[in-house]
Amino acid sequence: MEETKAVVSASSLTKVYGKNDTKVEVLKDIYLDVKKGEFAVIGGPSGSGKTTLLNLIGGIDKPTSGRIIVFGEDLEAKNEDFLASFRCHKIGFVFQSYNLVSTLTVAENVAFPMEWAGRTENHVRERVGELMGLVGLQNRSEHFPFQLSGGEQQRVAFARALANDPPLLLIDEPTGNLDVKTSTRIIQILAALKGEGKTIIVATHDEHISALAHQKLHLEDGRLTSENE
Amino acid sequence: MSETSFSINDLLRRKLQTSLVIISLTLCVASTLFLLLFAQKIGFGISSVTEGKLTSGFAGIFSPFITLLTILIFVAGAVMISFTAFIMMSQKIKDIGLMKSAGCPNEMLFGYFFTQLLVVTFAGCLFGTIIGIVMDTASTSVLDNLGFQFVQQPFNLWIPIAIFGIFFALSLILGTAPIVSAAKAKPARTFSPAYYLGLSKEPGFNVVSKSGVTLKIAVRTVVRHKSATIRAVVCLSAVFFLITVAVAGGLIAGGTSKSWVEGAVGRNTLLIAHQDVVNQYKLLLSEFYEGGNSTQFNYTDDRYIIPPNMINQLHILNENMTIDARLVLEEPVKEIQGIIFGSSTAQTQYVGDSRQGQSLVIGVDPDSVLNNWSLAGTFLEENQRSEAVVGDSLAQRLFSVPLEQKIRISGQDFSVVGVCVDPLNNGNVTYVPLSTLENITGVLGPNVLMIKLDPSANMSDVLNRINATVRATNPDFEVYPLNNVLDKSLSFLDFIWSTIMFLPLLTLVAASLILVGYVMLTISEQRQELGVLRALGARPRTVFSIVSAQSLIVLLGSYAIGIAFGTITTLLILVQNPLVTTYTVIEIAGWLLLALIVTFASSIYPAVRFAKKPLLETMTQP
Repeated sequence: MEETKAVVSASSLTKVYGKNDTKVEVLKDIYLDVKKGEFAVIGGPSGSGKTTLLNLIGGIDKPTSGRIIVFGEDLEAKNEDFLASFRCHKIGFVFQSYNLVSTLTVAENVAFPMEWAGRTENHVRERVGELMGLVGLQNRSEHFPFQLSGGEQQRVAFARALANDPPLLLIDEPTGNLDVKTSTRIIQILAALKGEGKTIIVATHDEHISALAHQKLHLEDGRLTSENE
Repeated sequence: MSETSFSINDLLRRKLQTSLVIISLTLCVASTLFLLLFAQKIGFGISSVTEGKLTSGFAGIFSPFITLLTILIFVAGAVMISFTAFIMMSQKIKDIGLMKSAGCPNEMLFGYFFTQLLVVTFAGCLFGTIIGIVMDTASTSVLDNLGFQFVQQPFNLWIPIAIFGIFFALSLILGTAPIVSAAKAKPARTFSPAYYLGLSKEPGFNVVSKSGVTLKIAVRTVVRHKSATIRAVVCLSAVFFLITVAVAGGLIAGGTSKSWVEGAVGRNTLLIAHQDVVNQYKLLLSEFYEGGNSTQFNYTDDRYIIPPNMINQLHILNENMTIDARLVLEEPVKEIQGIIFGSSTAQTQYVGDSRQGQSLVIGVDPDSVLNNWSLAGTFLEENQRSEAVVGDSLAQRLFSVPLEQKIRISGQDFSVVGVCVDPLNNGNVTYVPLSTLENITGVLGPNVLMIKLDPSANMSDVLNRINATVRATNPDFEVYPLNNVLDKSLSFLDFIWSTIMFLPLLTLVAASLILVGYVMLTISEQRQELGVLRALGARPRTVFSIVSAQSLIVLLGSYAIGIAFGTITTLLILVQNPLVTTYTVIEIAGWLLLALIVTFASSIYPAVRFAKKPLLETMTQP
């Protein structure tokens, strides 16, 4: 992979929740660089702060101290409007618990990030059809999320994350709750996305996903180490 | 863990959800109790202010108005409280399903959640009762300092006790329904939004523009949360129904009652009579707003008869002037027993108890009468006939079926053809043809003249010329403009209606508080999904717009229903023969628009607060 400027760059990053007796230091002095087109995997035990780190990279949460630069933007300094637009156009999120909107159908869940981005009706229709095909759910587009299995919901979450064709994907435990067959399907999608040159950061325990990574990181007790070294 | 400790711990751990429900219940109970206490004070205040005053026709507007408002306040409060309890327990359906899945027996499950319902509704109703009493005491003190003496009424402890008991019982009954229903349902079914949200789907997949996406999501949420939306619309419709009846009813009844007085007394009307008769006539008119009874007066004194040349001179002054000559007397009026053919029943019936009373009897020429009374039946048609129109208070006092009965005055029988609302002598008045009255009493000639002035004329100039003409004919006679008495009567009605109009104002405040509680609850229900929308690119103001649009959709739907039913109730039940002018319509529309704006603005507050919350906080469960 060619050397390019970092898409994500974190330095001296810390995140503390609570105060006094309930204070928990989730992330401690984190340094991270993920370059364009790089596939990075963050491993580590449950509760080690993987989701928190993804939230900070995506601007969903703010660090207690330190800096985080994504696509050259210092997210700490940005207001909520900027961050919302930034997430809409630059970042695709796949949450651990899918977080599909229960009152929207599968097609609507995939369409709404594009509607916010102001895409044309034709574009939205074509893209929804394309993404449904990619995740193999063409015949489920009119269903509600609660009518789908966990694996199907995960695939809808992938389709939604890809809706605006974002250059950065943040994916939290994509195979954590899935059977082997569905996991394999998800891994195939990840491999295809890697092939497209997208920058991908995945928090996972899955060895098969780790095998795809350019950069393997390990988070434990709030500290991030590189397994490549 | 015991049922009680589990329930209490669960409530304490979900601080936000628990406090929202308690706040909503507290607001509902407090505002309802406050309005009921206040309505009682207004009702009491008005009956004490109007005791011995007002005719039965006027008094007949105020009491039903306050009674209907009191009933509506109670019903609206009960609906809102039931709805809040229902929403609270509906939010727990998923938990019930989870516990059932984990093997919790139904009776224990019911015990856990019923204990929660008991604790929350008890706290909400108790705090609401206390705050309602505090609000009442505070408002009483403020209004007392502002000079509204009507609020001086002893506190009735039974009202708060009854409200607490009834609302607590209602909350328990309505809140228990979702628990029982969820406990009976299969656990897997309770996890489905189709069950706990009543989710339904409209056909097709429509892509919308960026600007339309906010509205689309809002509409979709409102439509797909069908059961919750229907309940919200029912609740808010009840509130808007109450506001419409209060505002429209108040304004229409106020305008109608004032037009009755104006029509009966006459705007720009001059009274010409001997100065003693003028003073007596003023006294008779003032009974409407000052009470009391007029003293004995000898109307038949020859000195009081209008000199015929005075009438001629006045005619010469202005040939187009209508002169309404009257003979005012005080005579015993007797109800005649008899058999009538009831026009409504189409059967003969026996009427009359030979009731008798003293009444002001006024002989008028039907062709030149200037007044425009609010009338049931017809007015006198010909001068020679034996027909009578009686005042509303006299009709109520003497007759069971006034329009089909007869009265006897000085041995002459008269058929009652009309009942008029008349402030003169507080409605204790009988109008008969002038010539008939002269014939039966032997008093020849009128003792009172009424002249209506053209409002476009120079009033002081005309008044001076009439005054000069009257004085020149007989210096003991005087000209008195009835506008003075009319204005006092209207001020008195204004005071009563301005007091009553506190109710719609305070109802509006209460409705706004209730709506804030409702929006807080609905936001709490959707907070995770709204958080996800923000995480995927929705700006805070987009989320704010979605919540506001949802509120507006529900509000407008409820507004239309509430106003429609409120208007029908007002026009058909509350005020008979209502006077609805363009100004009244504009005034009512202004008030109702204000109500919509105030309730919508208050519903925005929780949405603004929510939009400002940190994103991660909105994405987590409360």
